[in-house]
Amino acid sequence: MVHHSIYISLLANTIKAGTILLFPTIGEIFSERAGILNLGVEGMMLVGAFIGFIVSYITKNPYLGFIAGVIAGGIASLIHAFISITLRGNQIVSGLALTIFGGGFTTFYGQKWINMTLNNTLPIIKIPILNKIPYIGPIFFNQDLIVYLSYITVFVMWFILYRTTTGLNLRAVGENAKAANAMGISVYKVRYIWTFFGGLLAGAGGAYLTTSYAPFWLDSITAGRGWIAIALVIFAMWDPLKALFGAYLFGGINALQFQLQATGTTIPSAILNMLPYIGTFIVITISSIIVKTKHIKPPKELGIPYIREEK
Amino acid sequence: MLYFEKRQSVPQHFKIIIPIISLLIGLAIGAISVAIAGINPIDVYGGILSNAFGSWYAFSETLVAATPLILITAGLIVVFKMNIWNIGAYGQYIMGAIFSSYFALFASNGLSKPMMICVMVISSMVGGAIWALIPTLLKIFWEVNEVITTLLLNYIALYILKFLMYGPWKNPASYGFPLSKTFPQTAILPVLFKDTRLTIGIIFALISVFIVWFLIKKSKFGYEIRVIGDNPLAARYAGISVNRDIIIGMAISGALAGLAGMTEVSGIVHYLQVKIGADYGYTAIIVAWIAYLDPLVTILASILFGGLASGGYSLQITMRVSYGIVGLIESITLFSLVGAQIFLNYKLRWKNGSP
Amino acid sequence: MAEIVLETKNITKMFPETIANKNISFNLKKGEIHALLGENGAGKTTLMNMLYGIYMPTNGDIFINGEKVTIKSPLDAIKLGIGMIHQHFMLVETLTVLENIILGLKEYGFIINKKAVKEKLREIENLYGLKVDSDIKVWQTTVGEQQRVEIIKVLFRGANILILDEPTAVLTPQETQGLFKILKRMKDDGKSIVFITHKLEEVMQIADTITVLRKGEVVKTLLKNETTKSELAKLMVGKTTLRDFQKNKKETNEVILNIENLTVYSDKGTKSLKSINLQVKKGEILGIAGISGNGQKELVQTIAGLKKVAKGKIIFNGLNITNKHPRFISRLGINYIPADRLAMGVAPNLSSIDNAIMRRYYRFPLSKKGLMNYKKAFAYTRMMTKAYKIKLDNPFAPIKLLSGGNMQKLILAREILENPKLLIASYPTRGLDIASTQFFRQKLIEIANKGKAVILASEDLDEILSLSDRIAVMYEGSIVGILEAEKADKNTIGLMMTGAKA
Repeated sequence: MVHHSIYISLLANTIKAGTILLFPTIGEIFSERAGILNLGVEGMMLVGAFIGFIVSYITKNPYLGFIAGVIAGGIASLIHAFISITLRGNQIVSGLALTIFGGGFTTFYGQKWINMTLNNTLPIIKIPILNKIPYIGPIFFNQDLIVYLSYITVFVMWFILYRTTTGLNLRAVGENAKAANAMGISVYKVRYIWTFFGGLLAGAGGAYLTTSYAPFWLDSITAGRGWIAIALVIFAMWDPLKALFGAYLFGGINALQFQLQATGTTIPSAILNMLPYIGTFIVITISSIIVKTKHIKPPKELGIPYIREEK
Repeated sequence: MLYFEKRQSVPQHFKIIIPIISLLIGLAIGAISVAIAGINPIDVYGGILSNAFGSWYAFSETLVAATPLILITAGLIVVFKMNIWNIGAYGQYIMGAIFSSYFALFASNGLSKPMMICVMVISSMVGGAIWALIPTLLKIFWEVNEVITTLLLNYIALYILKFLMYGPWKNPASYGFPLSKTFPQTAILPVLFKDTRLTIGIIFALISVFIVWFLIKKSKFGYEIRVIGDNPLAARYAGISVNRDIIIGMAISGALAGLAGMTEVSGIVHYLQVKIGADYGYTAIIVAWIAYLDPLVTILASILFGGLASGGYSLQITMRVSYGIVGLIESITLFSLVGAQIFLNYKLRWKNGSP
Repeated sequence: MAEIVLETKNITKMFPETIANKNISFNLKKGEIHALLGENGAGKTTLMNMLYGIYMPTNGDIFINGEKVTIKSPLDAIKLGIGMIHQHFMLVETLTVLENIILGLKEYGFIINKKAVKEKLREIENLYGLKVDSDIKVWQTTVGEQQRVEIIKVLFRGANILILDEPTAVLTPQETQGLFKILKRMKDDGKSIVFITHKLEEVMQIADTITVLRKGEVVKTLLKNETTKSELAKLMVGKTTLRDFQKNKKETNEVILNIENLTVYSDKGTKSLKSINLQVKKGEILGIAGISGNGQKELVQTIAGLKKVAKGKIIFNGLNITNKHPRFISRLGINYIPADRLAMGVAPNLSSIDNAIMRRYYRFPLSKKGLMNYKKAFAYTRMMTKAYKIKLDNPFAPIKLLSGGNMQKLILAREILENPKLLIASYPTRGLDIASTQFFRQKLIEIANKGKAVILASEDLDEILSLSDRIAVMYEGSIVGILEAEKADKNTIGLMMTGAKA
């Protein structure tokens, strides 16, 4: 029975660690679906993590912290939106700038918060009845509110993408902006909205990290998770439901690595820490091969600025 | 209502004005950020300036920081011109350091200094090039996005370095610090000026820039990479071997980043350790862009950003101002630079009433 | 007299360096088909884009049903009952037909009410005879179906004024007749239609009123019943008239290019060429006809070495060039003028010099031992622009700043100056004025007369018929038949373009 509970807790941690990746991946999927490539996920996550942490610390309320982190991520994304949508700048470079910005901003203002720890993290809320289901219950329904929010987000966003006019407009803008414009859809508006949404969710991923999974502050605490999320978008082939599997797969690697380190292992920690990146590297290579051989195409307008013809 | 109108010709002087204004915006927002944190921006910028350019020694330290920047940027220019996004200079830099350190640490017996330096230069370039070619081949065969793979390889290289430093290559006498044994004297780059840390590495850098300049301006390869960068379909149509050129370009880019790693460990640190100039790989991207991918302008831009880095580091020690301010200034500068490109092709106009 | 539904008064549109429309006044009556006739570059599309809110007029007024309006965006136009069917379809390929039709509409709810949409689609089908399968993705449909989707889209929004921009360019003669039937039904239903074209025959067949445009100005508005084809032709082109070409008929049976069982896959994984067999003889111009998307582009690009051959062989002058490098193929004397100049023909941000030397930069004297000689490149470009009358103010400026016609001329000159043994020309005269078109058509004939060969792939059937010796017709990646040009007529070719065997 002892072994048994170890696996349960490993899997429950997998969900937690996966949630950190799930939010930004969903956000990036929608941003890319609108045609905006935002390589600043890492930067937005850092900003979200930092603001989430200090607001939680000051207010002693992790929910407020989480919300603040979400908003902070959204605000950070607006810089990228302005440069790539209004000013039609190079999205790759602007996204990299956003990542550097997130690092610089949080390192600079985070100096005095380093190594501080949060006492009030997000509390576990058991879902009655559901948490009694053997295995499933303790893994999926013995979590905090934000994890439940992430489940809802995935399904709601999937539904919006494929079943509603909002999703239809979004897909049209990402696939053929000119045609969308000709049908009276404002390409700029749609792009601003979904880039902002991407920022909110990146902020959510970061804020969830510091209000639940790793409730302390360190420089570059997101440790490349933003890049893993960007890779997961390709793994998910721009589909929110598939993102769920990718995020939990990497959550699993994270949780396993953590568990091994905690229980003491002979594997050097540098090798353990390398695992997620090696894993991502392999996954993105395999997904790219699948995408290529199955002739799946990324959104056609991805990375291309939309220039409405001059009037 | 404001709108953008297409220009009929590109105003050339904008290419000088835009980078300068971008840097000024970066510095201005940096100043505001510093003030918000309750520090006097004049003190900070004064500190950076005097620590970067205030004395001969300060300036030599700026050049020390500029050396790897010049090398890395020179390589990045070659691939950026082709629209290939090598974000992995940091990893290639680490690999160059690791490869050359191997010879310094374990195979230095019986080699004279010039030989040893030669071996280290070549091995670092090979190491960097290998690290750059992995994502290149994946891109060519399976269209794996090189932005993500090169970036992931930065983390992987860093953990390989950590593994070596905490494990097999660790100096037993380092009291638990993650660093290697000190290199033998034969594996250390000669210093150019007494009482500075400026080595012949800067000469490697200047030679590299010149070669890259020559390649781009004068060679057939230079013509080809321009066509590839502007329209890869037209390049294929014109009979250019696009994949071959991408491989050559990435190999050059990785090799120069690797060489930068070598100049750092062999010229400055004299042993291998976990922290070896982490930001050069990313700063070089900004340097390349602010120099409009012009190799010669790169030298100037590298000195400027080398100064910012070197001044920023000193400031962290003397004034306890976080080094994060450098990243902040750099990123805002880059944002402004990318955003302002629109003014090269469009002018902002005002039209009354309806658009 | 029928009421006027749309009127423009003295519309002028200026672009930074050109005047596209000058003082244009024209009106459209209820229930009429009004043709806007003019050459390429006469300003027809610019005018219509202003009615659809894509451009804003610099001067002048637009009236809808007698009321002055400002049309700022396509949305405004849609609200005013104006619908436009663009020459290049505005469809999102990865979406279904139904999704494309309701794109941008709000009345079908946040959660799309497919049932209501399909009901309305049935109404339109019954009214005008427009039928489409609404559940398939647009990329799976034919070009003709896509045009129907575009028309349905417009009707679905309740448009009373329909603007069709060169709608027959992509259709076979038979499909064109089908379209005309639909247009007549719409006209009988009280809709007003603007029909943009440069084809006289179609104007005479379908229009009630004709407005002729030349160089951005209205030349004349006339009633169809009171004019003739030759009068319209004179009005349209001014003094220049088309002349016939003189070919020295040199019968040769010497094969220069031999294609056997050629199979090529598209990047979607489907076969874009299916076991093609084709021979090109020295001294001939071989025309390739077909509706766009039926494999013409793939065929010529495969010959040029730009697409991978999955099965089959290409033999040029006895040499197997299957899957050889494009450089190797061009050095053997095959040159290719691509259909889409901006996509493939030029590097738009590079200078005219860089673009002019694209075919020979690697050879002496432009290049020696890996080094470029840009002085020689400059001299070469100068020679080219003089010989081919290309207007080039600054050869160092990005080529994208040139006009479309000048850019096309530079591409044509670049390829012809390579002195090819086989010239592959895809839609070579697109965007050229009449004089330049004549000039280059003459060049193609000269090449053939010298005993070399030309492959001419074009969507312009008239061009193919007037230049070719033989015409190969393609349908769905196969060659349906090869006709002697003398015995070919538009109707037969049209039927073959939809798959009928010769």
